[in-house]
Amino acid sequence: MRLELRDVRYVYAPGTPFEVEALRGVSLVVEPGEVLGIVGGTGSGKSTLVQHMNLLLTPTSGEVLVDGVDATTLKKSELRRRVGLVFQFPESALFAATVEEDVAFAPRQLALDEKEVRERVLESLRVLGAGELAARSPFALSGGEKRRAAIAGVLAMRPEILVLDEPTAGLDPATREDFLALILGLRNAGISVVLVSHDLDEVAEVADRVCALQEGRVLAVGTPAEVFYRDPSQAPATVRVASLLRESKPEIGAPVPFGETLDALRALRGA
Amino acid sequence: MASRSLGQFYPVASPVHDLDPRAKILATAVFVVGLFLIDSTVGLLSVAAALVALVAVSRIPAGTFLLLLRPVLFIVALTVLFQVLFSREGVTLVEWGFFEVRSGGLSLGFFLALRILLLVSSAGLLTSTTAPVALADGIEDLLSPLKRVRFPAHEVAMMMTIALRFIPTLGEEAEKIKGAQAARGADFSEGGPLRRARSLVPVLVPLTVGAFRRADELAEAMESRGYRGGEGRTRYRELRFRKRDALALVLTALVLLVGVLL
Repeated sequence: MRLELRDVRYVYAPGTPFEVEALRGVSLVVEPGEVLGIVGGTGSGKSTLVQHMNLLLTPTSGEVLVDGVDATTLKKSELRRRVGLVFQFPESALFAATVEEDVAFAPRQLALDEKEVRERVLESLRVLGAGELAARSPFALSGGEKRRAAIAGVLAMRPEILVLDEPTAGLDPATREDFLALILGLRNAGISVVLVSHDLDEVAEVADRVCALQEGRVLAVGTPAEVFYRDPSQAPATVRVASLLRESKPEIGAPVPFGETLDALRALRGA
Repeated sequence: MASRSLGQFYPVASPVHDLDPRAKILATAVFVVGLFLIDSTVGLLSVAAALVALVAVSRIPAGTFLLLLRPVLFIVALTVLFQVLFSREGVTLVEWGFFEVRSGGLSLGFFLALRILLLVSSAGLLTSTTAPVALADGIEDLLSPLKRVRFPAHEVAMMMTIALRFIPTLGEEAEKIKGAQAARGADFSEGGPLRRARSLVPVLVPLTVGAFRRADELAEAMESRGYRGGEGRTRYRELRFRKRDALALVLTALVLLVGVLL
């Protein structure tokens, strides 16, 4: 599916002295089968923005379109199934006695039969590399394991777009690597992924396109190279290194992911 | 986003804010008892006039202060309605079938409404002019004579402070968890009361787990800063009962006395 936000504005607590305009006219498209990275500092509106993608928040003005159709006219439960939203620190919403029961919550809300529910639960846990956790209590797991279980709980709805808000915050480097590999795996299976992060280095590794937010507005949107080489002072480490070298050696090009940058540097040395 | 809860501390500088919290707590207690000793509408009105003057002195905007009364308006309306419908005293003002409005019911309804509004306003004035920490300090001091009979005055005051402090935090947390479960297809508005209560389980369980975790963290944070309970603990801000605090108490008593006599 193609999800489009058109000039979305959102105001918290309108008409009170505590009014805050979190989004000031954001237009953005999530294309089918892409990984879209959303970056920006604290308070730039990232988390508010993603809650518009499944209409947990309704825009104060502007539109959300699903394949060109106004999303407010769709059934909310159907929209939320198709756009799976994983909140920041999703493990704080684990509640059931076992991981399996917890992951089964969403598919059961879809009124699937028990056989289908079980199938989806095991599949999602397997995708997350958490198959062996099924029978354990979610409260007895490590931080990384909890995170896996919580994401599986959304994946079990088989969404067409998976929105991940800071999925790697507070995780160890190995689990982070796993999650980035998972994002690429999902994309290869045809699922679009929206990755919200303030860690530019991880966005550099997986994003097909990047959207930079600042104070509720889109600062830049495009391929990682387009966005990050605009202002290398606010770019991943790879881009900062490459753009410095570019001053004397323009043939290095515009690499963004770590592997590509390494290759470009090797080519430079060989030449 | 946290919204202002009712009767929340309104931080401005005013003579009322400046009073010793103990004086304010005592004055409020005296005021509340006094309200029940006043048996005339004129008496209540005179006390109300004094309270209005006090609110003006406290520099809390009238609109903000009146918001405080919104939750009790329903009870007030109900009280007046019942008095008007069921009172059989005084002269009949309106008669319409077996429904009649008598002057006695109307004036009694007004009297009771005024009493409820004054009760809530006085408590609201206390909490909106006294910082929660000062309030807890004041309560601790007022309860401290009970320490002799092993009443844990400091601990009770500390628990109150912490409870107040964490209401908005837990509210925010609940909103987040509700959002996360809604994203997984939970619906909190459909079905009968039983189904709706059941749909809250996925919110209440993580909220409770989170509250226990927070409590543990808070206890550790307090201990790591050397907190060991009230024994021998000194305060950064010492409470001082000054002349003006005594004056405030005497004035409160005077206003109420006038109210009782009228």
